[in-house]
Amino acid sequence: MGMSTGSTSGDAVPHINVTPLIDVLLVLLIIFMVITPLKPSRFEAKVPAEPKDEPQANVKPNPLTLVVAISKETKGITLNNEAFGDVSDTDKLAGKLREIFKERENNGVFREGTNEVEKTIFIKSPKSVRYGDVVRVIDAAKAAGASPIGLQIDDLAD
Amino acid sequence: MKIGGTDEYNSDINVTPMVDVMLVLLIIFMIVTPLLQQGVSVNLPRDMISPDEDGDIAKDTSVIVAIPDNSNFYIGKEQFPIDALGDVIKRRMEGKTPEKRIVYIKSGVDVDYGRVVQAIDTIRKQDIDKIGLVADKKKGVEATN
Repeated sequence: MGMSTGSTSGDAVPHINVTPLIDVLLVLLIIFMVITPLKPSRFEAKVPAEPKDEPQANVKPNPLTLVVAISKETKGITLNNEAFGDVSDTDKLAGKLREIFKERENNGVFREGTNEVEKTIFIKSPKSVRYGDVVRVIDAAKAAGASPIGLQIDDLAD
Repeated sequence: MKIGGTDEYNSDINVTPMVDVMLVLLIIFMIVTPLLQQGVSVNLPRDMISPDEDGDIAKDTSVIVAIPDNSNFYIGKEQFPIDALGDVIKRRMEGKTPEKRIVYIKSGVDVDYGRVVQAIDTIRKQDIDKIGLVADKKKGVEATN
């Protein structure tokens, strides 16, 4: 009587120590978050057909062709022989391409025989350039809206 | 007279076995994940803004040429000399619809472009004019098209 030790047990809220559990679950969560967005992605590029030996005398050069070339020594980028930055800074190239495509859209410059705006681009790079640099240029061109992207693989310089 | 002692202390759940199991699971996943990766590991171009996602790359049926360094070409985990590459690609491409006729190239960033061109040259000899250059997209960038 008057000695109710049970009062303490009644007040004490039973608690689970969830800290380690949460730790482990959070780590698992983070691991899955890192793994799942690794959805593969790619740049689609077109490759011209193998050149035939017969002379192609009747092929007209297309005045709308955009050729992006990378220089071996300076890693500079040229667009139709005009310099636009280098591989470490592709913003200039992307800006110029955007400008050209926008102008073409406004003027309705279409690919021959279609009603799509001509946004074809060719990438030309010497063989000794790092693949990573070429991909950077492709990335910039793609981001500017170029499509399709063609890789020139014949008669490349070393 | 009541002794509440045992009642009080039993309300704690013993989480140690659970944590143990979780840790084991974690370790299992850590070991298994790299093994699930098909093919050789390649130092792909990273942080690209504009590549398109393509679920087909991860499919078993797609043909992926891996160029981890300047001296080797791999399809899957097998190494092939450049001369044999064409036949392998041809065999793997048999019976594919025209729009599925695409060969993926996984090349390391430090590989010479010339080696990639060599691979592309071999690929186009099999009447394939579409190439997928596999690159990792920068996280958190939405498609620009």
